[in-house]
Amino acid sequence: MTDHTATGIQILDDKLGGGFTRPAAILLFSDHPSEKRLFAEQFVITGVRAGERCLYVDFFRAPQLARRELTKFGAFDERLAVFVDATSAQLLIPSTERYAIHEMGDLDHIMDTVERAIRETKPARVVVDSMEFLADRFPKDAVFRRWRQLLEVGKQEGATVSYLFLNWTYGQTEVERIEDMSDYVVEFQSRMRTGVLQHFLRIRHSGGEGVQTNWIPYTFKELVGLTVYFPRILVTGPFNAGKSTVVRALCKDTVSVDRLGTTVAFDYGNIEVMGLEAEVFGTPGQERFDFVFQIFAREVNGILLVIDGTRAEDLVRAKQIRELAGRNVPTVVLANKADLPGQLSPDEIRSRLDLGAEVPVVRTIATEGQGITEALRLLAEMILGLR
Amino acid sequence: MTIQTDERTTREGDAPLGVRAQLQSAIEDLRRLADIIAVAIARRDGLVIAHDLPKDVDPKRTAAMTAAIVGTSELAARELGQGRFLQAIVDSEYGKMLSTGAGEEALLVTLVRPEANMGLVLLGVERAAARIAAILSGT
Repeated sequence: MTDHTATGIQILDDKLGGGFTRPAAILLFSDHPSEKRLFAEQFVITGVRAGERCLYVDFFRAPQLARRELTKFGAFDERLAVFVDATSAQLLIPSTERYAIHEMGDLDHIMDTVERAIRETKPARVVVDSMEFLADRFPKDAVFRRWRQLLEVGKQEGATVSYLFLNWTYGQTEVERIEDMSDYVVEFQSRMRTGVLQHFLRIRHSGGEGVQTNWIPYTFKELVGLTVYFPRILVTGPFNAGKSTVVRALCKDTVSVDRLGTTVAFDYGNIEVMGLEAEVFGTPGQERFDFVFQIFAREVNGILLVIDGTRAEDLVRAKQIRELAGRNVPTVVLANKADLPGQLSPDEIRSRLDLGAEVPVVRTIATEGQGITEALRLLAEMILGLR
Repeated sequence: MTIQTDERTTREGDAPLGVRAQLQSAIEDLRRLADIIAVAIARRDGLVIAHDLPKDVDPKRTAAMTAAIVGTSELAARELGQGRFLQAIVDSEYGKMLSTGAGEEALLVTLVRPEANMGLVLLGVERAAARIAAILSGT
């Protein structure tokens, strides 16, 4: 028995102290159609991979189909993923599952079956996909009564129960009641901007205390699962500070448009670490290339501002670059070339760059990869609202 | 897109998916022209919107490079007093890459065989760019 259930997104789990507490009730909520199921599926697969038994109640998919779809996360031990079959009865075919709902018009029968499955299998994790299926079909008071009872049974059996809920039936009061029954609320949102569809999630403790993240952009990768996804991290700073070296130290595979040892267009690379994926754009440092900066400086998730930690005279330009990108964008300063003599003191760097207390300064040696991962982690935590 | 769409989201007729389908069909229609090898739609700031690039080409890198080419070309055209930017053509040994503005926000990238009838290609590209601009103006 662990007292946490990991989400499977490393950087989040690190900050949640290993994941959601267990037992717990987790509301996976959206008020518009948004992708929620991937998070729930990842939650189950992460449990199964940790050797935990998981129960999946799926009102929309046949268990065979759901099992097949779960293989998009890679192979898993099917014996640990127990399904409650709610579709065979809808299709009037016999079920081959140990737990099957026979009468879809009977809320008590549905919930009794789910509760029996929880009591008998004692899963670490339960997913109910989804509560709006019930909210759409049965009277509100009855749904609430059984919902509450389900969570009690889950708690008694030591399970972390998560339930998807797309609200288009209930008003604000009911949604608040549901949040009150839950320990965590994970909200989902999908946004479209100029043809690019982006997905976000936000995690908070119900009741306003404890964890509260920003909207976290995420993506799904076949065989990998859900990852935090930053479409744009800028690596920028004055001429010859080591920006391209930072991009190369961060990314396993990069392209650079450089001539005579200096970047004339941009560096580009892709990061996959800590349950995090990011596109990294390195800009040229010289003012005459500022137009390149302007092309890529839109909708920036975060900035790694690279400076040469020995050159006070470059800091005016560094400050100007930061202003060009926007002071509100989460930023980490990399005081690079920390292996050279004549290092500026952190206070001097802070005051010359006019940094607020929220901006960390990290000493790095980009040529040896030192400090780079730490800087990225700090930046990611700032963007996610975990710092 | 790497994200798989929830079938319920599709069933509920979410508007964004409509846009994506329309963009995909604009790409397919342009692809039908002879001599066109591949097509991509990117944002002017270098993000991929939609594409049918070959498997061995990284769409994200392509989008970033195209954004840099167009951004630079636009500026050069303006600085040199040549007026509004229309298109950048990168002419290479095994083909041409056309980067055409498709509205305020997007770019249309077309890869063309070297021996192509450029008059015909340009006409198709121009139409596709206008269509993409119209689709995206609704989002």
